[in-house]
Amino acid sequence: MNWFQLEFGDFAQAFLSVLFEGAPFLLLGALISGFVDVFVSSERITKLLPTKPGPAIFLAGALGLIFPICECGSVIIVRRFIRKGLPLSAATAYMLAAPIVSPIVALSTFKAFTGQNPWLMVCLRLGLGYAIAVLVALIVHQLPKNRVAQPGMIGGGARRRTGLSVSGEESAETGTLDFAQIVASASPWRKVMLAIQSATADFLDVAFFFVIGTAITSVFAVGVNREAIAPLAQSPFLSVVSMMVLAALLALCSTTDAFIAATQFPAFSAAAKLAFLLFGPVFDLKLFWLYGLVYRRKFVVCMAIGLFAIIAFICWLWAGMETGAGSPRPSGGTHICLPAQTSLHS
Amino acid sequence: MQQIFARWLPAATLATWSAVLLYFHFSQRMQSMLAPEFRIYAMIAAVVLAIMAVCFVIFKGDATCCSSGECGHGLSRLASGKLLTFLVLLVPIAAAARYTPRSGFSKSFVENRGTDTSWQPSFQRAANKSPVENRTPAPVEQPAVTAALPPGGTLDTKKPVDLSLPNKDGTPPAMPPTTPAPAAEKSPTDYLVRTPDGKIVAEVLDLLYAAQDTVLRQDFEGKQVELIGQFMPDSSNNPGANRFKAVRMFMTCCAADARPVATLVESEKLPDFPEMTWVKITGTPSFPIEKGRRISVLKAEKVEKTEPPPEAMIY
Repeated sequence: MNWFQLEFGDFAQAFLSVLFEGAPFLLLGALISGFVDVFVSSERITKLLPTKPGPAIFLAGALGLIFPICECGSVIIVRRFIRKGLPLSAATAYMLAAPIVSPIVALSTFKAFTGQNPWLMVCLRLGLGYAIAVLVALIVHQLPKNRVAQPGMIGGGARRRTGLSVSGEESAETGTLDFAQIVASASPWRKVMLAIQSATADFLDVAFFFVIGTAITSVFAVGVNREAIAPLAQSPFLSVVSMMVLAALLALCSTTDAFIAATQFPAFSAAAKLAFLLFGPVFDLKLFWLYGLVYRRKFVVCMAIGLFAIIAFICWLWAGMETGAGSPRPSGGTHICLPAQTSLHS
Repeated sequence: MQQIFARWLPAATLATWSAVLLYFHFSQRMQSMLAPEFRIYAMIAAVVLAIMAVCFVIFKGDATCCSSGECGHGLSRLASGKLLTFLVLLVPIAAAARYTPRSGFSKSFVENRGTDTSWQPSFQRAANKSPVENRTPAPVEQPAVTAALPPGGTLDTKKPVDLSLPNKDGTPPAMPPTTPAPAAEKSPTDYLVRTPDGKIVAEVLDLLYAAQDTVLRQDFEGKQVELIGQFMPDSSNNPGANRFKAVRMFMTCCAADARPVATLVESEKLPDFPEMTWVKITGTPSFPIEKGRRISVLKAEKVEKTEPPPEAMIY
């Protein structure tokens, strides 16, 4: 068995399909970001949440229930909110929780796992997703901001949108204008245009990393032989870890990943599928690039390792409980297919 | 130079993304990319991107927020970096759009994903998100009529049903239901889509479901059917060396998650087609038990090369 073989046509189709699936959500995030940039003041943003960091983090982690957005869009929105003055820790809680703690994800998970303890899967996914996001946010709160966030993300009072050069109004010396000043003096129509311009800047910014992440993801998604990973399902620990690695490589949208987890990996345990559903929305290859827009790369790597470790540990514990003496039991109960079905290769 | 980065390249990038999305939508190729519920989002995105491109050209501006380093990618502080940014945004999508094959995925993809030749309840769960709620196969014991439509199947629920009517090929209804029920007064076979000459138009999933559902099996077993799939040789279920697979791609959300499903086809002589060629098979389904499980085997009378169907993927 050849564990890796790749045709360019397959890559192109998978790459475009992920791009087509993600672009609308990316665009939605960019538009929200652009309009928040122009129409919502920093003061209003800071009034949205409690002033005390603890309650603010706990509340921000649950905001996805009211403002649901998938992981591609949440990064752009959070970046804007941080620049507008939202505490980094609360923004982190929202960014990590919103792709999981949302009614859309709850519904899709429930429907996907019908017949496989759907309520348990929904409760564990949303509950643990929320808890992990809050935990990471509380850690972020304890760290110095300059070691966590990208330069330019914090201390936005003196922000200058160098890129925004409005015809006939740019500074002769620097060619730049202060964005807040432009917005303050703009007519309503012009504000809309500025919002679109801001959204475009955000969209192009994030799309750059989205394209890179999607390209890498597509190579793995179509090139790796699934049969090569099938033996991993036999070990509770390896099944959990391999599903998390797969989630990072496949970079699926959190609104639909439950259908993939429920249908495409029948040999894997429910704990391994939960690991897939918890880790994928908070970290994958495209998010590694996107997170770099908000956080320092070193922090992104540390956060990825931390998220991986805690999710793997929790799901491994559950896998142990599921399997009892250690023999893995697939999650589908009576729905599980015959072992032969996974290896009907030509 | 500044004008190019500040105005034209951002607008061109937005316009290119929009054009690619619109092209795939209007050329029907989006059907092999996204499941139906996602296509509308892609279409809306295409329109919005086009509007943004126009706004950007009309309203002179600069999208290169990164020229101040605020956005984090230092590459774009330099002209070469900005150029690289736009190349990344433009070249891969344009190249992928140009070189994505119309014929769908290759043999390598099918080999990497593996092919399911047995029905799995998981398909049912995936299909449950479809708005067509009555696509759930019925429990084996029940004489379900309205509930026997598999995802991606070809059973037409809009047709009137009458148990007293014979099949269009003149044969009597396949199996009168054993349990009286309101729906059981109608012939299940009348739900089947047929060719003008009376053959049942079957999908791969129809036969996979039929292998596991006694009621649905009655509708297909021994009847002449016509089925379109992609030709793949078979080595794992081929004792007489006279079998191949008719493969279709089952998509959940997008093409990247597509999963090959196949029914086995048995013919006197194996066709000499390149792998993944689209073929139309005329034959009679049978559902033998092999290796302890019931599978579908289509005994082919005729195998001919054909054009891909309008919906190359099944959902």
